[in-house]
Amino acid sequence: MKYESQKIAQNFYTFAVLLFLVQVLVGIIAALQFIWPDFFPLKFNIIRDLHINALVVWLLMGLMGATYYVVPEESQSELWSIPLAKFQFWATVVAVTAVVLGYIWMGFDPQANKFVAGTLLLNEGREYIEAPRWADWLIALSVILFLINNFMTMYKSKRWTGIQGTLLGGLTFLALMYLPGMFYTKSMVKDQFWWWWVIHLWVEGAWEVIAGALLAFMLMKVTNAERHVLERWMYIEVGLVLFTGILGTGHHYYWIGTPKYWLWVGGIFSSLEPIPLLLMVWDAFRTTRKHRVVTNRLGLFYATSHAIFNFVGAGLWGVIHTLPQVNKWTHGTQITTAHGHLAFYGAYVLLVMSMIYITLPLIRGVNEFNTSRGYRSFWWMTISMIFIVLTLTGAGMVQTYMERLIGLDYVTVKATYNFWFWALRAIFGVGFLYGAWLFVIDFFKLGKEPVEVTSTATETVA
Amino acid sequence: MSNRGVRNLFVFGSLFFFVIFVALTFDTMKRLDKRAPEITAEVDEGKKLWHKYDCIGCHTILGNGSYFAPDLTKVTVNKPEGYLEKFLVNPKKVKSTAAMPALGITPDEAKKLVAFLDWVSKVDTNGWPPKPVLATFRMPQTPGVTVYQKYGCSSCHMISGVGGTSGPDLTKVASRRPDPEWHKRHLREPSALVPDSAMPAYPQISDEELNQLVDYLLTLK
Repeated sequence: MKYESQKIAQNFYTFAVLLFLVQVLVGIIAALQFIWPDFFPLKFNIIRDLHINALVVWLLMGLMGATYYVVPEESQSELWSIPLAKFQFWATVVAVTAVVLGYIWMGFDPQANKFVAGTLLLNEGREYIEAPRWADWLIALSVILFLINNFMTMYKSKRWTGIQGTLLGGLTFLALMYLPGMFYTKSMVKDQFWWWWVIHLWVEGAWEVIAGALLAFMLMKVTNAERHVLERWMYIEVGLVLFTGILGTGHHYYWIGTPKYWLWVGGIFSSLEPIPLLLMVWDAFRTTRKHRVVTNRLGLFYATSHAIFNFVGAGLWGVIHTLPQVNKWTHGTQITTAHGHLAFYGAYVLLVMSMIYITLPLIRGVNEFNTSRGYRSFWWMTISMIFIVLTLTGAGMVQTYMERLIGLDYVTVKATYNFWFWALRAIFGVGFLYGAWLFVIDFFKLGKEPVEVTSTATETVA
Repeated sequence: MSNRGVRNLFVFGSLFFFVIFVALTFDTMKRLDKRAPEITAEVDEGKKLWHKYDCIGCHTILGNGSYFAPDLTKVTVNKPEGYLEKFLVNPKKVKSTAAMPALGITPDEAKKLVAFLDWVSKVDTNGWPPKPVLATFRMPQTPGVTVYQKYGCSSCHMISGVGGTSGPDLTKVASRRPDPEWHKRHLREPSALVPDSAMPAYPQISDEELNQLVDYLLTLK
């Protein structure tokens, strides 16, 4: 770490990893509610709102922290304003806490979610963007302050690099794509149409652009690869992400009441979406093979795993059900849940973790740290997640066959035929929780324990 | 190609695709109103209640949402409206095994929610959800079975694993209720025999159909 202001990243990382733990804990409650719907005082909808909102917020916090690390380094100057960054951090923490308390309140008293001045007070009742309108404005304000701080840093240093330009471009795109979720439409069709602008153009657009930029940064950081080569491939990757991903939004417009031409547009472009993700995997391996000097093996391990599981989870598990001919039968089944879990884990959970493992030792000023807990955490989480995804895929196939093709009742299939899939998913969820717990412990202890002789972070591979 | 060239390809290429996307969005917005019925004040009120009670936290609609409870796109086609209105107010009273909690929905709110769901069921969804391949399950085609299918009994009741779960399973109904007169009265006016029943009355069934249907039900032992 060269600049004092990069330390602010640690605040964001800390809040992120704590929310991650909350996300996994409530995820296990939700998994058990598939078997016993009434066992917990808060019902499934509230638990799920907490599960997916904690996910979105902790990933955003992680990406913000990572950006606060990258921008001073790339601009070769201190951050424009540290007090502003601190204010932005604490304001976000307060807003997020208020939203969470609101969800819990509503869980105990559904009638508390009243209309005030035309908008709902506690929960907007729209998947992923449940946060009420007043919180939307606070989130938007926080993101704007964050963007101003980073743009001013770049502007004052007059040093524009491809990596930080792409990173900030992705983050600006992310901020703009929050807006289509902030108005009411009377038509449920239009509601879902604009809602996909937010959801799809985030996870299959802006966030993947951010991932491409951070991957290039991480590879540069842990190997001695040349910047211009990494940036060239980055432009190709994020270019292909947007060339395929923007019109790929069409795969959400097959069955929601939108015109038929979306079947063609969505089918063709979304089928191409895995290509840039495969390029990222190739990029990670090519860079590692070519540049044998690795300064942080655990960090590189996480970064490469992120590239692989981004391709498998977001790419392969997405493409299997993206053609309209297939999607007609699988739309709205557990196949989507399986895809969602592996995609978020591979594309974004591992991305934020690899950024943490690469930048946190530098923030804490250590060259070497114990890596064994980091590897153990990875294997507990990854193996558990693979099995969670396999059980959900199995449940989705059973559901598609029995409910959609044969015509059995939804409740019958869920309660009877898929029982063991739910049970196994909950068990593997506990395995994932253990891995996440190891990671959080490692986060707090990294660089503060004596380094064991057998485990070194800095190594030159012959 | 230089890095600057690749960068420009990325920036302008992305803008190019975004412009196409915006153009398609405009075109779609122009066509949407023709693909769905008019939105009345009651439908709009129902949609607001849909958001208020965070229904999407458990259900999917148009296939999007949570995957914890049934998709509601065609629910008003498959279930009688009277049933839905009673169910929404107090789910476990209507069906003891229901996972849905009582949310404090008033009868008036239930009516509006059903109006909203009915609007959704009439949207042109390019044929989704598709009809199951084996929708008409193989049963002996007796006159009673024909009546059973004509009045859509299987959307709520199950026989040998096929059918809905909103009403009681009829696989062995004749063992529980062997009296044909009970069935005839019950079908004409369910709530007269079963207090709190959410099953709609079927005064429109002719006497001949009623006899055929009850004959069929009595074979289910």
